[in-house]
Formats: sequence, C-alpha cells, structure tokens
Amino acid sequence: MNRIVLRRLAQVIPLVLAVIVLNFVLIHLAPGSLFDVMTAEQQISDPAMLDQLRHTYGVDQPTWVQLAKYIWSVMRLDLGFSYRQNAPVLNVIMDQLPATVILMLAATSVALLVGVTAGVLASVRVNTIWDNLISLAAVFFFAAPSFWLGIMMTVLFAVKLGWFPVGGMRTIGAGNGAFADALDVMHHLVLPATALGLFYAATYARVMRASMLEVFRLDFVRTARAKGLSPARVVLAHVMRNALLPIVTLLGLQLGTILGGSVVIEAVFSWPGIGSLLFDSVMSRNFPMVLGVLVLGSLLVAVANATVDLLYLRLDPRIRAR
Amino acid sequence: MLGLAIDFARRFARNRAALVGLLLVIVVIGVAVAAPWLFPRNPLRIVGRPEIWPFVNSRYPLGTDSLGRDIAAMIAYGARTTLLIGLCASLTATLIGITVGATAAYFGGWIDEMLMRFTELFQTIPNLIFVLTIVSILGQKIEYVTIAVGIVTWTPIARLTRAEFMALRDREFVQACRAMGMGNLRIMLGEILPNALPPVIVLSSLVIAGAVLFESAVSFLGLGDPNVSSWGRLIGDGRTLIRTSWYICAVPGLAIMLTVLALNLVGDGLNDALNPKLRDR
Repeated sequence: MNRIVLRRLAQVIPLVLAVIVLNFVLIHLAPGSLFDVMTAEQQISDPAMLDQLRHTYGVDQPTWVQLAKYIWSVMRLDLGFSYRQNAPVLNVIMDQLPATVILMLAATSVALLVGVTAGVLASVRVNTIWDNLISLAAVFFFAAPSFWLGIMMTVLFAVKLGWFPVGGMRTIGAGNGAFADALDVMHHLVLPATALGLFYAATYARVMRASMLEVFRLDFVRTARAKGLSPARVVLAHVMRNALLPIVTLLGLQLGTILGGSVVIEAVFSWPGIGSLLFDSVMSRNFPMVLGVLVLGSLLVAVANATVDLLYLRLDPRIRAR
Repeated sequence: MLGLAIDFARRFARNRAALVGLLLVIVVIGVAVAAPWLFPRNPLRIVGRPEIWPFVNSRYPLGTDSLGRDIAAMIAYGARTTLLIGLCASLTATLIGITVGATAAYFGGWIDEMLMRFTELFQTIPNLIFVLTIVSILGQKIEYVTIAVGIVTWTPIARLTRAEFMALRDREFVQACRAMGMGNLRIMLGEILPNALPPVIVLSSLVIAGAVLFESAVSFLGLGDPNVSSWGRLIGDGRTLIRTSWYICAVPGLAIMLTVLALNLVGDGLNDALNPKLRDR
C-alpha cells in the first residue's frame, strides 16, 4: 500500500517539471521579453543600468542556461520577484491561496451534495415527475455560465432579498473570535460556492443517476433485498456506495476545471483568492506572477489528482489486487 | 447514400429534445448570419438614452446598456463571435486531438507513452488559467482566444480517438491494407479514421458548447478582443449596474445559456443517431 502511494506521488514530479518547461516556452513566446516589460514599468532607460539588470536577471545568457536556471530556481520554490507587489511571487500567492482552496472545497462539497442527492433521488424515482424535473434542472445548470449564475444569484439573494453579502470574504471590522469569523466567512461563501458548484452538480446528477440505475440491475442488489434489508439501506449502503465510483473519477478529472472556474467566480464576488491575483497580474502583464500561479495551480491539481486516485483505491478494493 | 442520410435523420429526429436543440441552433445561426441586414450599422455605436429596459421602447426591443448601445444589435453580432470562436476552437481541438490520439494508438510503444503523458500534462494544467496566460502573453485578439480555447479542450478528443484507433488498428481490413503495402499515413487517414470518426464527431460537437462557455468567461473578465461585440463582455460591462439595471446581464446570459443548451442537445441527438448501439442504455 505504501509503495502504491509513493509511486503515485512520484508521477507528480515529471508532470510538474513539464509544466515548468512549458512555462519557460511561454515566457519566450511573449512579444517583448519579460525584461522589457519589467524595465518599462519601472521606467529604466539608462543603458548602463539596463546592462547591469540584464546581467542580474541572466537575460544575456544562452537559452538552455536560462532554462536550467529557471528549473533550478522553481525547484527551490523561487518563482521570482513580483515588482508590482514588491514581494517574492511565492509569498504573494501563498497569502491568497487559502481563500481559493476554501472556495474550491466548498464548491466541490456543494456539487457532490446536490449532485449525488439529485442523482439518487432521480434513480430511485426513475421515470416519474421527480426524475424529469431533476433531469431538466441538470440540463439547464449544465448550460449556464457559472459567472452569470453568480451575478443572477447576487441580484436575487443579495440585492433584492439582502440575505447574503454581495461580495468579499469577511465583513470589514467584524473581527471578534475565531468562531464568529468562521461563521462570517461561511456566510460570504454561500453564493460563490453555490454558483460554482451547481454546474458540476448537474454533471454529477446525470452520471450518478445512470450509474445507480446500472448498479440496481446487479445480482448483489437482489441478494441484499432478498435477505430482507430495508429499501433505504439497500439504496444507501449497497447501491450508492458502488455507484459513487464514477463520480470519484469525474471529480479527479474536473479539479483543474474547478480551479479555473473559481478564477471567474472570484472576479464576480471579489473573493480575495489567486483568481483576483491572476486577473490583476494578467491585466498588468506581470508575467512572473501569472506563470507562478500557473505552476502552483498545476501542482495543486496534480497533488489533488493523486489524492483522488488514492481515495479510489480505498473505495474500490478490487484495484488493489492488481 | 441517400438512404443512409434518411436513416440518420430519422434516428436523430426520434430524440425530441435534439430537434428542439437543432431548431435553436438554426435560429442562432440565422441571427448571426442576418446581423448585418438586421442592424446595418456598427453594433458598438451609441444609439439612445442609456439603461432603457427591454420591451419599453419598440426601437430597442431588448433595451440599451449603460452607454446607450442597442442590446439587440450587440446580441446579434455577439452570436457571430460566439459561433465563430466555438466552431474554430472545436476544429482546432479536434485536429490536435485526432493527431495526438491517432498517432499514439497507431504506433504504440514509447510514442504512445510519451503522447499520453503529454495529454496528461494538458489535463493537469488548470484550463482557464492556461487560457488567460496565453491571452495575456500573446495579446487580446480573437484568433489567440480561439487558439487558446482549442489548446485546452483537445484532451478528451485525443483520449477518445486513441481508444477508437486501439480497437481498430489490428482488425483484418487494416492488416489487409498493410499487406497491400499501403503507407502508414494512408491507412490512418483513409482507412481507420473514417471508422473511428462518429464518436469523435459527437464529442467535437460537445466541445463547441464548452468552447462557447470558455469564450464567454474570457470576455466576461474583459480579456477578449475589445473590438468585437461579445455576449460575455456585455455581461461583464453590465455587472456594475446590477442594482438598477440587472437586465443588461440577464439578456446576454440567457443567450449563452440557450446556445450552449441547444448545442448540448444536438450533441446528444448526434450520439443517438451515430452510435445506435449505445442508444438504449
């Protein structure tokens, strides 16, 4: 078991290395080098100063040396210096990352909770009005852009009804106690997490319904019924547990998309995560920051993917045997 | 051939929802094509008082936005942008996906291993972040947005093509072609690809829907091409006015939703018509 865990985690390394190389290629694709942007922003025009900076940043060396240096520095978690925030890129990203991770986790929970419940309900009441209503809702939420859903929810629940705050992560000046703070963050989290989660909930509902119906036909379900288990127990403990496997696969595949989606949702709800940071950096052509977000985002997804795979191992003992 | 087409149409039409979707797609295409005749002048031009609600003034059936531009005109021209980007991005993704998937499966061995790792790499990179990175580096042009969206959406197509090619590459007819001395490229493109294509077409049609969503997100963030009217950008522009004129966001959002919905339904219908074996599942 430990060996499997280690081997799976070891697969993350070449992936991250490839992302770093890709990053480097992207930097060199940019019209006007990173260096030009940097010096333009700080309005440096003195030739002697430029030469000195060129040497400091290693721009005068051959490309492969630059690549080797870049890989080496990213390996030491040195993603460069953001001249805009006047702080190392890594520190700035690490400051913002927790908010994004909270949003992602909350959205995933919403998606799983709503999607799985809807899917189970639709499969238990297959071909009834419930099933049709759930399928219809799934089709609609699957087509709605999450940012638009977020705006419409803001209009209804924040502007018209006033139930939830319009944006942000905390109420300004409310800070008293960790518990009150957590409640406050949760209150701010409801709308963004729902807006982001409903799209995935729609997918999960459809997959869960299909996979439940598939499992319902299997022999062991008949056995469970025959030995006199209550219908609820058959559905929850026997069918649902097996039907969940495709959902776990899907979850692993979609983590990158969820991270991308949270970038847009953060812009809608002014959530202070790496989305806002990325947006600001893209706008100001702050390339070290943009590429730093790309590397750390990919690392996050790669690690999360490995975790989901290991979770799969735990859920389905048949895989372990191989 | 005609018989095949009729058979195909009949199977497609059996799925009612797909017919509704097809109708919607035709309407959107019609609006996109007719936009220059319906609204002969520049859609980004200011026409009247700002923030006229829909259905109030008959000259501006969908109202005007915060600058006083005609929303109906921008929606019509936005349909062109959306469909064009969706179609081209899906085409890009399909080309990359088929190339990678077909090569990997046909040659196998280390080429397969390498290309699949490459695919995995693109699956790991958070797709929207990658699109934004590319657009920020190459510039805010409609071509770059299209290419960027194509680059992040090809992975499922590659995996599907690979699976289809794997199933076909050792079949008798392919071996016969090899025995006849046909070149690899000719076997791949002329013999295997036509047989592998139906499920790939279904997936490509679904990728169009995904591409439309991506494009709308990029232009919503204000990183799309500033010189073309786009549904996503209209939502982004109207966002500051949600307290008074939320319809500016609602109308283009509905347009995106209906288009994506219709494309998804058509994709499902194509799936039924092209993969009759899977239909009863």
